[in-house]
Amino acid sequence: MDSTNSNSTVMAPVIQNIVATINLACKLDLKKIALHARNAEYNPSRFSAVTMRIKEPKTTALIFSSGKIVCTGAKSESQAKLAARKYARIVQKIGFPVQFKDFKIQNIVGSCDVEFPIKLERLNGFHAMFSTYEPELFPGLIYRMKKPNVTMLIFLSGKVVITGAKAREQIYAAFDNIYPVLKLFRFQKDSRFPVNADCNFTNRRIGPVKLATRMRAEPLINTTEMKQV
Amino acid sequence: MATFELYRRSTIGMCLTETLDEMVQNGTLTPELAIQVLVQFDKSMTEALETQVKSKVSIKGHLHTYRFCDNVWTFILQDALFKSEELQETVGRVKIVACDSKLLSQ
Repeated sequence: MDSTNSNSTVMAPVIQNIVATINLACKLDLKKIALHARNAEYNPSRFSAVTMRIKEPKTTALIFSSGKIVCTGAKSESQAKLAARKYARIVQKIGFPVQFKDFKIQNIVGSCDVEFPIKLERLNGFHAMFSTYEPELFPGLIYRMKKPNVTMLIFLSGKVVITGAKAREQIYAAFDNIYPVLKLFRFQKDSRFPVNADCNFTNRRIGPVKLATRMRAEPLINTTEMKQV
Repeated sequence: MATFELYRRSTIGMCLTETLDEMVQNGTLTPELAIQVLVQFDKSMTEALETQVKSKVSIKGHLHTYRFCDNVWTFILQDALFKSEELQETVGRVKIVACDSKLLSQ
């Protein structure tokens, strides 16, 4: 991380999920695994893998008959690897000749709250190359950054989700890139209505103009009512 | 109608099996008839639980282990609290085996 960048020291994304895969390099009898391991689910009519969970590190694994495992839910790279090793050990103890091959982190998800509301419509207008904003379909703006190659979900409230990274540095770099942009598209304080991201801006269809007229007509309006409009 | 043989391991089921065994050994009953009685027991238990038992019990505890295989859920609960309208009781460890009765009618 660049220490000269002031926002990176104050604010940095938190890693929320890491998805990793490994190959045990042997064919597996899933029914045998489901019957012998604890905390396993196997319903072949729905999904052709065993779903298994462990408590430490708190993760979920999908175990396929090809011997490949997808491990999700870890909060750090080392935890993902430890969890993957534990799953491999569980399968080994049931009686399969497992190896621990091709451990690879496939995706890292991070999130952050910039703590100010963002004018998504304007951001979408100025960054049309990278962004998609269809509030009727999804309330967040989807920002596909090219460098680093990640996808971000930016919400009106100022909460940001960064996904699609293969390394944690990409999450941090992406946030350092987007933070100055978000500051440019910050909702400015306006005396006509209070800046309260949680109640006034969550429903973006109440635009500033409409809101102002409403408030004049009904001075004692409460926030829950506004959400229902 | 197919039935689960789930209730044969209950107290009442075990008693019935023991008695039938005894009767088959003295020659009072043929083994075929004993089996038929057990099948009828499976049916009657399912029916009785469906139609005659009205009381409700809630079970609440810490889930230690779960498993889902061959359409059977297995849960092991720790410090489970069994609660019915009249009484409640805590049990250190309980194993719950649950099958989907809808699968039988298919």
